[in-house]
Amino acid sequence: MKSVSIYRPASVDEAVQILSKHGREAGVYAGGTDLLIRLKNRLEQAPTYLVDIKKIDGLRYIKEDGQGGVAIGTATKLAEIADSDLLKKKYPMLVEAFNMISSPELRNASTLGGDLLQEVWCQYLRGGYSCWRNGGYICYGAIGDNSYYHSAMGGRLCYAVYPGDAATALIPYDARVKLATPSGPKELSVEQLVPGDMLVDGRIQSHVVRYNEILTEVVIPPPQPNARASFEKLRPRGVWDFAMASLAIVLQVRDNTIEDARVVFGGIAGKPLRETAVENFLRGKVLAADLRSQAVSIALANAAPLKYNATKIDMAKGLLASGLTKLSA
Amino acid sequence: MAEFSAEPFLKIIAGLSGGRKKASQSASRCYWHLLNSIESSNPPLDKAEALELQAAETAMPYEDVVPALTELKGMGIQLSIASSLSATAVRLFLERNRLTELFSAVWTRNNSGGVKAAPLKAACAGVSLKPEQAIFLTDTLEGLNTARAVGVHPVLMMNDPDEAKRLAMHDPAGGIVSLHELPDFLRLISAQNALRRAT
Repeated sequence: MKSVSIYRPASVDEAVQILSKHGREAGVYAGGTDLLIRLKNRLEQAPTYLVDIKKIDGLRYIKEDGQGGVAIGTATKLAEIADSDLLKKKYPMLVEAFNMISSPELRNASTLGGDLLQEVWCQYLRGGYSCWRNGGYICYGAIGDNSYYHSAMGGRLCYAVYPGDAATALIPYDARVKLATPSGPKELSVEQLVPGDMLVDGRIQSHVVRYNEILTEVVIPPPQPNARASFEKLRPRGVWDFAMASLAIVLQVRDNTIEDARVVFGGIAGKPLRETAVENFLRGKVLAADLRSQAVSIALANAAPLKYNATKIDMAKGLLASGLTKLSA
Repeated sequence: MAEFSAEPFLKIIAGLSGGRKKASQSASRCYWHLLNSIESSNPPLDKAEALELQAAETAMPYEDVVPALTELKGMGIQLSIASSLSATAVRLFLERNRLTELFSAVWTRNNSGGVKAAPLKAACAGVSLKPEQAIFLTDTLEGLNTARAVGVHPVLMMNDPDEAKRLAMHDPAGGIVSLHELPDFLRLISAQNALRRAT
């Protein structure tokens, strides 16, 4: 592991200044469950200067925001979100999803910001191959073993899947994020935050956060009345693992008619994949068990599996069927 | 750029070698086999040209070619063709598929004075590029070796994952799955070069 220098800024502004000073050589250090492994994996993109934000006040909280929504500081531990009574009451699907992230031990260390911005877990990247995300110009996942960690929905140079569950579960609630930047605060939807393989500051990454920006807060709008939601996840190991496929679904139902729908797949593409074709199909329909076969037939029409991962599409469609069955019960 | 039928190239090889050469089913392999024959013995190519025209007549550009090249041109990138085919065959292929306007220069074995490396060198010189400033897209080992011999960066077209996995062992400078990715590839390199210059 290369030697690193650690800064411990007292404020977000100071952290942003340090990040700006060191450019791409610096990285934010919070839970460390992704960052420290990138260092151990000796990845070229792993930072030399760690900006430790754990001691900064005001980044670790879960609170109502005054409009009936909830604001969560990005240094909040995943375990705190998974155990939050406030979130259980307002967004039970979110809590369900966070309880399926990784293991209890890792949830005690990992933060919300880290989960949203984590690096992909492609075995070639983590194995030190010189791929697009590690100083090279080729995706070994596209031609090698792509059964677990690679996209079945096409790619953009890198074919690794976006691994986070938090974003997949937050997007159906139209959650937004706040960032501190050198030019002041910035706000994005979670969907805009993780649009898949992006060229940012000369690197390929899954999110749009620049080297000198810090994610500070996630804001979830007030829950809609009559909302029904479900989170489904299939993993190679049931106890803890990344999703082979996952699904977050939120339906607004009045008199058994679906007024609005959000359907987001995880684990199958380079980003949390909002399936608008299915959302449009569901809107205005009576919520009944027979909807599922039609919804499944519409879903993921643009699938482009690699040699070994077509099964991800079958799994994702299976999750959609089981999610709709659960919500129509 | 296009799916060529192997058959015309097989016939050319058979004609040049008196039918002794072992047939390969891959058009790319046949094509490079043919180029090796031309390079080593410089045979008369009158009959070969008719068969090349037949190949160009039936060749179909891959679906990602026109969108990718159009995007590259829109980015202000000058596009040249470097081909070991005859000028007539290249012209026929470009005209039939309405690709002519995308390219500012066409280098063939006729105006570059040879095959394989010759058109590649001529294309670089034609736009005042050093070889190390260029990339060469290929899906064969022969293509990788030719690019490397000239000093151009060979980039694998990874159409077939098994073949690409084999060729990745030969240390290409990079690899892309589809031409759709080429504009992003160039944007990334450009951004990285700008960052290097800034530091």
